[in-house]
Amino acid sequence: MANLRDIKRRIKSVKNTAQITKAMQLVAASKMKRAQNSALESRPYTQLMAEILIAIEERAAESDQKGISHPYLEGREVQNRGILLITPDKGLCGPLTANLFRLVAQIPHGEASYVSIGRKGSQFLSRTQRSVLAEFSLSDRARFSEIRPPVELLLEAYAKREIDTIEVLYTRFKNTLQQEAMRKPVVPIVNLADMVREVFGDEDYTAEAPLGDDRREMLFEPDPQSLLNNLMDLAVRRSIYQSALEAKASEHSARMVAMKTATDNANSLVEDLTLQYNKARQAAITQEILEIAAATASSQES
Amino acid sequence: MALHLEIITPEGKVYSESSDSVFIPTTEGEIDVLPGHIPLVTLVEPGELRSERQGQVEHLAVDKGFVQVLGDKVSVLTEQAINVEEIDLNAIEEARVRAENALREAREKGEDPAVVEEAETILRFTMAQRLAKERRR
Repeated sequence: MANLRDIKRRIKSVKNTAQITKAMQLVAASKMKRAQNSALESRPYTQLMAEILIAIEERAAESDQKGISHPYLEGREVQNRGILLITPDKGLCGPLTANLFRLVAQIPHGEASYVSIGRKGSQFLSRTQRSVLAEFSLSDRARFSEIRPPVELLLEAYAKREIDTIEVLYTRFKNTLQQEAMRKPVVPIVNLADMVREVFGDEDYTAEAPLGDDRREMLFEPDPQSLLNNLMDLAVRRSIYQSALEAKASEHSARMVAMKTATDNANSLVEDLTLQYNKARQAAITQEILEIAAATASSQES
Repeated sequence: MALHLEIITPEGKVYSESSDSVFIPTTEGEIDVLPGHIPLVTLVEPGELRSERQGQVEHLAVDKGFVQVLGDKVSVLTEQAINVEEIDLNAIEEARVRAENALREAREKGEDPAVVEEAETILRFTMAQRLAKERRR
């Protein structure tokens, strides 16, 4: 039977841990709420933007106009991928970062250059000696202007042909319990419709009124090309920004869940230990009574 | 048959109602969309957007953006939108002056384009709101 004082000490330390994880859980929960809201609220916008882009791309090609062209629409032979890796700054968020790193590991060495947002990712990339173009950080508030520098850098590298694709590696937010690490190709835009389906699943945030099958020729004003020029830059930025929002929402959700599990575990451990402590205490008391009784009996005998 | 008008901004879907006709400011001039309109994609100018339903007219101020008309759905994609009823001219005037000052400062110091763009956005939208509000009176 373990020493009474040892058990007591362990109970105390486990209780302390539970208190800390509980506090972290509450902090994560409040951040999670805000991050989830901003990710979900901005989904319709990002999606409608992609839909308009699809409309321009598909219908303009169909309607025998001069045809449209944009550097982001042309696929190239891929020699060097440009990957934007979005990870949390801190750990303690369950398997979230490990899942992202598994995806990174699937990309062969030397075939990609990375831009990293978040300290965890930067550490991983330098540890595994991958080529890193730049590192950025993103606050919990995740403002649109914060995403601008990394995007500018990627677009510039793409224009200079230093990289042949722009892809985002992030964690898509499904719900509080489920997040999914995924790689989203952003540029070049080869098959936008598929991409939208993959990223948003079947949930269609814009389809409140049925679209109808309106196959009449679409009118573009002033013309498809200038619409495309106007839309493209914004759409790329927006798409990447959406990923960042999703990543933040996932991070805080995963951390909240991880901390909740830790707290629950600590509490059940305290219960077990308390039981063990009481048993030991009882055993000690019984032992003492036995000793006293034995002593009395022997003194009476003599 | 009625149109369905929805206005979507980065803060979410701010407006989603049925409508008989929608009046939209575009770069090519102001257009009036009625049910059965040909599919259309065009650019939205900052200004006043009107939606008429059973004789009731709703006035909204929108920032620049895009509009897609497909089937009987009118989707407006814009940076910001606000109901004209909710516009407070005094608050707008203040915001406008602040943004103008910020813009001038940023330009003088040659600050990074993000700040300039932010101030420009505020400035543009305040102008659009004032325009919409003054028309309404």
